[in-house]
Amino acid sequence: MQPSMYREEITVGILALQGAFVEHQTMLQKLSLKQRINIVQVRTPEDLAKCDALIIPGGESTTIALLARLAGLLGLLRDFVKAKPVWGTCAGAILLAQAVEGTKKGGQELLGGMSVTVMRNGFGSQVESFEAPLEVDGLRDSDRPFHGVFIRAPVVLSLNPSPNDPPIEVVSRLSASLLPHNQTAIPLDVDDTDPCDPRTIVALRQRHHLLTTFHPELTKDDRFHEYFIRQCVLPSLS
Amino acid sequence: MSTPTTSGGATPPVPQGAGNSTGTPVLAPTRSSTGKDGTSSNLGTFGVKSGLAQMLKGGVIMDVVNAEQARIAEEAGACAVMALERVPADIRANGGVARMSDPKMIKEIVDAVTIPVMAKVRIGHFVEAQIVQAIGIDYIDESEVLTPADEEHHINKHAFKVPFVCGARNLGEALRRISEGAAFIRTKGEAGTGNVVEAVRHQRSVQSEIRKASVMNEEELYAYAKDIQAPFHLLKETARVKRLPVVNFAAGGIATPADAALMMQLGCDGVFVGSGIFHSGDPAKRARAIVQAVTHYNNPKILAEISEDLGEAMVGLTINDNLKGGRLALRGW
Repeated sequence: MQPSMYREEITVGILALQGAFVEHQTMLQKLSLKQRINIVQVRTPEDLAKCDALIIPGGESTTIALLARLAGLLGLLRDFVKAKPVWGTCAGAILLAQAVEGTKKGGQELLGGMSVTVMRNGFGSQVESFEAPLEVDGLRDSDRPFHGVFIRAPVVLSLNPSPNDPPIEVVSRLSASLLPHNQTAIPLDVDDTDPCDPRTIVALRQRHHLLTTFHPELTKDDRFHEYFIRQCVLPSLS
Repeated sequence: MSTPTTSGGATPPVPQGAGNSTGTPVLAPTRSSTGKDGTSSNLGTFGVKSGLAQMLKGGVIMDVVNAEQARIAEEAGACAVMALERVPADIRANGGVARMSDPKMIKEIVDAVTIPVMAKVRIGHFVEAQIVQAIGIDYIDESEVLTPADEEHHINKHAFKVPFVCGARNLGEALRRISEGAAFIRTKGEAGTGNVVEAVRHQRSVQSEIRKASVMNEEELYAYAKDIQAPFHLLKETARVKRLPVVNFAAGGIATPADAALMMQLGCDGVFVGSGIFHSGDPAKRARAIVQAVTHYNNPKILAEISEDLGEAMVGLTINDNLKGGRLALRGW
């Protein structure tokens, strides 16, 4: 980075309409970086205007989208996603997807921004929620697996970047053998041991955008938070 | 902008990775599944049980008695719905034994919405819990609103893959429920009255007892644990993190957006609304206003806007010894 581009501090917003936003805040506060990170809980257009980047937390995607619309944030968030780095975890990942299956009756509002299709509650109800070790690529100490916490998690059904879209980089996969077997909504004719099955993708980056279907903020491992700042936020500022 | 903007200062975060962290006991047995390549995952861990409650924070969970009400709740922004046969106000008015709902009705609600569905079972009735787990619901409320099935024992909630929420009036009761496996606590309040006074009392008790415990030394904590009949290790952890070790919602008597914001400012993580919505003049509008109030609980200007013109609130009852249906909060041991 050029010295003239160096920023002493960056402001990261966390969409605080509903869900586990405090957990993300705690993780960001513990990061030790050269830059100072200001954290803003985003509930109004004024809050969003301060932010260099945004995290959309886990929660209920239908609730978050409705509250965003009622707070006059929906259009502003769509513009923000087009211009600045955004990371969506679980419900946030659903909101960042280009298309979603398993939406509520009548469909639901999305922000879009990432060229993926996801399926809500892809593993089933809460009794199918699980924890599993994940292989990661590009994180600090990537030899060490990341502890993935999947709670009523979405499943990536396909990657559909058009030729002009930034390339998609897979950051983490779930072992193919742990994919749900009892989901009628997911085609079962796919070889479930195929390591390239898109359904095994649980974390991916498309330029300044990061999507995780699980919850790094529920662990004590800050490597995904550091990755977001290092690979998505800092490059967008230079 | 030099300090983090934290409007929710009253509520410290739930400890990270509850269930895995050192200090927080791993309470639940886990069912493991091992893949063909030897990779294994754990289903129904305490981490995913308390984790779902963490995802519900800042949200409103609404009582519904059929699929149509569940859809109204989902459209109004509920983060989950609670399926039950009659809302508490009707249980109060009609009397008789209140039980688990018809599984057919619960299944219709599960099919109608995409948000988590919870169901109530009677205190101590572990077979009702087995039945609603088999239906595939997302959370069980072992609730004092239904007629208790056991006047001494609560359900051993560790034995289930589905997580449980339980009511509590004070810190000792909350920690007893957590030690039995509850992954989520709510105030009891006085359900079906539209009167928030008991929920306020319960939340204030829990908060003041936590503040008291947080300045105690170890000897004092041993004595205090005995005094409030709480397991020592959970009391010690609560004193360390200065909040309940699981998510804590308000419930019982919440009828207006202002009631919901009051409970949030008193340190609750979210709100259950029972009779308050579908016993009001305009349920969809009131439900949406309460959802907004829980998000913007610290912004009186927004609270004023959303409280306007909501139609009739539910009729409130005075809580005294003559209360029809009795005082439900006294159930639970």
